[in-house]
Amino acid sequence: MSSPLLRFSIRKRFGDFTLDCEARFGDGVTAVFGPSGSGKSTLLNSIAGLARPDEGEIIFDGETLYSSRRGVNLPPERRRFGYVFQNSALFPHMSVADNIRYGYRLTPRADRRIDPARLIELLSLERLLERGVANLSGGERQRVALARALATSPRLLLLDEPLASLDAGLRGVIIGYLKRIRRELGIPMIYVSHSLSEVIALADDALTLLDGAAAGFGRAIDALVQPQVSAVADYATLENLLDARVVRGDDGADGEGLAELQVGAARLLAAGARRAPGERLTLSIRAGDIILSREMPAGISALNIVSARVTEIHALDARVMVYADIGARVVVEITRSSLRSLDLRPGAEVYLIIKANSVIPLDG
Amino acid sequence: MLQIVGLTLQVALVATALNLPLALCVSWLIVKRRIPGRLLMDVLVSLPLAVPPVVVGYLLLLLLGNNGPVGAPLSRYLGVELVFTWIAAALAAAVVSFPLMARAVMIAMDSVDEQIEMAARSLGAGALRVALTITLPLAYRGILAGTLLGFVRAISEFGATIVVAGNIPGKTQTLPLAIFSRVQLGDDALVLRLIAVSVTLAVATLLAHNRLLERSKRG
Repeated sequence: MSSPLLRFSIRKRFGDFTLDCEARFGDGVTAVFGPSGSGKSTLLNSIAGLARPDEGEIIFDGETLYSSRRGVNLPPERRRFGYVFQNSALFPHMSVADNIRYGYRLTPRADRRIDPARLIELLSLERLLERGVANLSGGERQRVALARALATSPRLLLLDEPLASLDAGLRGVIIGYLKRIRRELGIPMIYVSHSLSEVIALADDALTLLDGAAAGFGRAIDALVQPQVSAVADYATLENLLDARVVRGDDGADGEGLAELQVGAARLLAAGARRAPGERLTLSIRAGDIILSREMPAGISALNIVSARVTEIHALDARVMVYADIGARVVVEITRSSLRSLDLRPGAEVYLIIKANSVIPLDG
Repeated sequence: MLQIVGLTLQVALVATALNLPLALCVSWLIVKRRIPGRLLMDVLVSLPLAVPPVVVGYLLLLLLGNNGPVGAPLSRYLGVELVFTWIAAALAAAVVSFPLMARAVMIAMDSVDEQIEMAARSLGAGALRVALTITLPLAYRGILAGTLLGFVRAISEFGATIVVAGNIPGKTQTLPLAIFSRVQLGDDALVLRLIAVSVTLAVATLLAHNRLLERSKRG
């Protein structure tokens, strides 16, 4: 885990629900994961200054934002944290450009480190600028909300389930943009989500919240295999959300309808990615749709056979999560019985067998 | 006739102009700032609606009269007497119409999505800036509708006015008071004409009010 940037201990009670949680977050991307009603948004709002805890303290980069003991509660406008809401919360009476300018104008010149023009380019908003926000699609709204928050050059970006109201294709697009922002702007983020797939795709660390209390904190990938998480996680839909670059698009000319994608060090064939070579996209492969083999298989219909190295194995009840490295980390779910018969260990060389139909480009 | 309508509009406009800033501030404090004591404040806002206007008029008379806590210093130091002037009529109309306006403004402000205001706070705007750049622009149709509702109530104000401003033709005699006088004199022709003017003003204002409310609901 990276060096602590934010540390907090917060208690807040509403009715018969109590959030009581403390943690230290680093300067990468930290996920707050948990089912709905676990207190994730309350925690995020407390950090943002939009909700006031009953008790505790919140310290960011040495600065006390909230302390019940010392009577400190810095208002949200002075915390300089960006906030992206699940439903965007764009200003309906302003154009896209004015939405983005709103916070930028309020940011002191000395603190302006991010040029709005760069954000507009990074989030592909050029053609939307003069539009009103009422007619934007869900994905466009979230891109504007991201640009608006980032235009204030925030010290920390808070994201409250930013993908929850988007359909699968758009989720992939926004994940791509979030990864780009993380790579190019290096702003620490707190990412609230109830989706393990998103957590392991985007976050370095993860705090798991259950019923208002911390149920685990560590590497994001470990959230998958925490015993308490297994009760609330939907493993059946667990997917690998991977960055891919189009090597050869499906131009429809050869009648096979396949595109070739570069993922880490591997090349994968996928059905139906009509994109130009060089373009980037996010693709989804279900952890349960990948077959592990110790030997190079022959005579099978699956088009993708990728060599990989097993890095970690986590057994959780009957379920086993195998982390494999193909130049990108891939999670494969197998049964305990397969684990025994394959005699898998970390370091083992294996082949991942994936049908082209199971490699799903999420391109909007 | 023209003089009566002119005076009525003057009284109602001044009453509305006095009320609007106050209604905005009070609504903002109650609905958005959720200040302590807001429940009591809410009751005070609606009180003039619940007591007989005559009572409002009498209390104003006590307040503004030459021995009253407001009237006494005004007459002693400034030589100004408010009772039985059109200004007293405007104040009476203001107090009686305030609840209608303030309640409508509160509803309009309450309908502005709090998350949008929170977004503005997170972008660096203080509470007052959020009120001016987000809440007011998003609530303005409802606020305007509430203002018209207050205005139409001020036009028709009678009970408090006659107590604190009297019924002095050419000076404090507004439309409702003029109708009252003519009814007593049995001047039916003039009464019907005055009523026609009164109803026309009310219908026009209410039409504008309803149109604004409809559009504010559509967003």
